[in-house]
Amino acid sequence: MMTWLRLHRHALADALRRLATQPLASLFSIVVLAVAITLPVLAAIALQSVGSVASSLETDPHVNVFLTLDATDEDARRIGDALRSNPEATSVKFVSRTQALAELKATTHLAELLDSLNGNPLPHAFTVRVRTTDAKKLDEARDAWSRLPKVDQVAADFEWSERLGKWIHFGNTLLTTIAVVLGAAVAFIVGHLIRLQVVSQGQEIEVSQLVGATASDVRRPFLYHGLTQGALAGAAAVGLAAGVSLWLGLQLRALTPNYAAEMKVVFLDPAWCLAVVGIAAALGLAGAWWAVGRELRQFAQAAR
Amino acid sequence: MIQFSSVAKRYEGGLEALRGVSVEIAAGEMVAVTGHSGAGKSTLLKLAAGIERASSGTVVVHGQNLGALGETALAILRRRIGFVFQDHKLLFDRNAFDNVALPLRVTGCAGDEIGRRVRAAMDKVGLLARERAMPVALSGGEQQRLCIARAIVNRPSILIADEPTGNLDADYAKAILDLFQSFHRVGVTVLMSTHDEASVARLGCRRVALASGAVAP
Repeated sequence: MMTWLRLHRHALADALRRLATQPLASLFSIVVLAVAITLPVLAAIALQSVGSVASSLETDPHVNVFLTLDATDEDARRIGDALRSNPEATSVKFVSRTQALAELKATTHLAELLDSLNGNPLPHAFTVRVRTTDAKKLDEARDAWSRLPKVDQVAADFEWSERLGKWIHFGNTLLTTIAVVLGAAVAFIVGHLIRLQVVSQGQEIEVSQLVGATASDVRRPFLYHGLTQGALAGAAAVGLAAGVSLWLGLQLRALTPNYAAEMKVVFLDPAWCLAVVGIAAALGLAGAWWAVGRELRQFAQAAR
Repeated sequence: MIQFSSVAKRYEGGLEALRGVSVEIAAGEMVAVTGHSGAGKSTLLKLAAGIERASSGTVVVHGQNLGALGETALAILRRRIGFVFQDHKLLFDRNAFDNVALPLRVTGCAGDEIGRRVRAAMDKVGLLARERAMPVALSGGEQQRLCIARAIVNRPSILIADEPTGNLDADYAKAILDLFQSFHRVGVTVLMSTHDEASVARLGCRRVALASGAVAP
């Protein structure tokens, strides 16, 4: 047990010594890996940010029914009943004219202007969520509702948001694909970098095996090396991605006025950051395993 | 201790280095393998050390049939055999001490134990004062002795040396052979190759002559 612990301690010390004795080479390797890892991380951040905008958009099919200005509360109740009785309507929400005015005052800078008017210019309105997006059925419902007395206008203006929703979905798919492809690229870059290091240590591997090192003995320091390098690169990538997101976030805020406050860069939560470091470390480990395996096979082959 | 039975070794490309070699070396014996270049001396030593595997026949070392051992078991067996390489196989990126310590580090030896054993081995070959020197700063003879120190640091019961006196002048060669004789006197089985018949005669040890891959009568 003590020997086993000592072997691992030696391997870790050996890996750290290797990183430290070639500070420039180590730094460059870690930077290359970090940049490669940053790309899929940024793709993930973009995905998450677009997702947050998408979820704040109304993409459910709904129809707005505006009553005439002279419609009374009694008319509204009657129309509400009629809307609710339609089989296509899933929910009916009533927005009274006073409520609408209060909301308009609260969310815009028009309060003074509205106050200067005689009376309330806004009508009573209903928002009806509908079961269908089928154009024919919608037209039928729209016709029926616009024929109701005291109904001024029926607007089914969700088509644009529905189309936007589809584009956002497409964007998500695209970004996911990019993230996967870049992730695979990272695995190969890690493997290749570690292979270069293994090749440069070829003599040490050979001599170690000659004096009795087993395959695991040879592999151990390289695995720690790959692991440490991967983890450091992962941490650097998270830092780099955080910097880029922060900068892009500031740019976006300067670009979009406050009515588009939901447009912001959403950074990964801590669990995801840890996952990035973990995955990078695992990739480093896998790359080292693959690279050392090749050298070991060559030694075994030579002995045949 | 070491037993070759009808051993043949063919390399890729068809070169037949050994043919039907049967040799037995008893525990504590000192044997010199002689012959011209290309007679198969190095191959015989590598097979005995478990560095290469026989193409046919059996090699038994420490009572274990090397052909039946897996890679890991073979590596562990190599720890009990000291090997002095013809080309030294020193690592030039680390000092003399760390070169000798390599076999101990491989086995997970404790730090203070490593220090004691490495210094004992370096003292034995007369390099104690040079433990911080890099191999490139050592003379050919010193590099040879450093390689011997690395071979004995694990206190092996078998010491195998491939042309240990190959490139050394007569005085230096004599000193190295005396060193091997001193290991032999304390019970170590010594197997070495040489083409220097005069030295073998002076040592008075058993001689196995190889010619074209077979034991010469």
